[in-house]
Amino acid sequence: MSTEAVVQSTPARKIVIAGVMGALAVFLGWTHLGFIPWVAGAALTIMHVPVIIGAVLEGPVVGTAIGLIFGLFSLLQAVLAPTGPVDVWFQNPVISVLPRLFIGVVAWLGYKALKNVNEPLALVVAGILGTLTNTVLVLSAIGLFGHLPWAALPPIAIANGLPEAALAAILTVAVVVAWKRIETGTRKSRM
Amino acid sequence: MSASEFELLRTVTLGQYLPTASPIHRADPRVKLVAGMLLVLAVTATSSLAGLTLALALVVAGFAVARIPIGYALSGIKPMLPFLALLGIFQAIAIPQNDANTTVYWHWAFITLTARDALAVALLFAKFSALVWGLSLLSFTTTTTELTHGTEHLLRPLQRIGLPAHEFALTLNVALRFIPLLAQETERLMKAQASRGADFGAGRGWNFVRRFRKLIPLLVPLILATLQRAEDLILAMEARCYTGGKGRTHLVHFHARTADYALLALVVVVLAAVMAAGIGSADTLVWRAISTIWR
Repeated sequence: MSTEAVVQSTPARKIVIAGVMGALAVFLGWTHLGFIPWVAGAALTIMHVPVIIGAVLEGPVVGTAIGLIFGLFSLLQAVLAPTGPVDVWFQNPVISVLPRLFIGVVAWLGYKALKNVNEPLALVVAGILGTLTNTVLVLSAIGLFGHLPWAALPPIAIANGLPEAALAAILTVAVVVAWKRIETGTRKSRM
Repeated sequence: MSASEFELLRTVTLGQYLPTASPIHRADPRVKLVAGMLLVLAVTATSSLAGLTLALALVVAGFAVARIPIGYALSGIKPMLPFLALLGIFQAIAIPQNDANTTVYWHWAFITLTARDALAVALLFAKFSALVWGLSLLSFTTTTTELTHGTEHLLRPLQRIGLPAHEFALTLNVALRFIPLLAQETERLMKAQASRGADFGAGRGWNFVRRFRKLIPLLVPLILATLQRAEDLILAMEARCYTGGKGRTHLVHFHARTADYALLALVVVVLAAVMAAGIGSADTLVWRAISTIWR
């Protein structure tokens, strides 16, 4: 495979990448590998990172499909194995499924806007924007249903959203740079 | 460090298939999928003990007909029990349900254990068991291929309004197929790194930077190896000229028989009764009966 090879996107490619990244999101949630204990109470999550990676690699439709799988799984998990009172809120699809559909689209838009300027930077931006979409939309939906007062939401968004955005940006860059073999300037990355 | 730490999906029975060639195995997967969805809806919507008992009876009858030992189904719920007990305790303590006409069983400091609390805990357990067993029954009796075809057939109306139903059903199938592969790959990576001195057992402390730095050498190779495997699958599909759902014909066609309609009708009637039980006075009757036996 040459470094500059442009991989053509076919239906098979879109379906498989969406399926594989969807599986990864489910796997991270199921095994709790995707949760990192955090001082602010609620654990940090990186379950949405597969959505961002899929959107960056294969575009917004694939990103939305992975977001749908991620959302459906978190709905199922909230119904089947609730881990506390917060999970009960996620039994509502408007909180658990709907916000997740937009992660991929926003991440892809951010990536596309900056891709030709500086690709690693574009990946960082995609990771941050995708995460913030998740945080802001899920918290807004929680506020909309009156589970938490609106005033309580911005501190949560900052305490959890910002570190999650940082983790997502690091992971997105690490994976996509290695996968696409983007030259980061310092040295050529290899697998 | 115990060996079980590497066995990520061992205790999960949900998602397995048990071929016992029963009438439920032979039933139309579309009917089974719809029945499963209705069960989830009915059980989450109701908060009536009588209704949930009825739903549990339906699921247990299903296990009997499917010739699946109930003990096997029970083992699937075992790993979740401690956690469920915790949730039950939380519910009993944190949510005060002190109506005037409830029996107080036990009182200590600010904790009052009333009949209402006992009911809330019973409801939690019944709801949870009905859901897990209902979905287990679906997965025990239906192969992944049947599930995929069933989903695709059910989503077909969406295809008419332009949504990619076929593609999404196939995506779900790929995802289901890759979850055990991901578990295998993760085990392999964890063992390889543990043998080089990595310590995944160190869940101590809240040092989240350290936790995350441990995850990076696991997650990055995991995602890259998975993408590599995805490339193989893409190549295999393209070599067989797969071009998406348009104009594609199907090898499998479902023909619902009388038995399938009968099964669907039975499930609908029972679940309607599950929902209705909360409205009528059946609940108070059941509750009174239980309290009488208790005394």
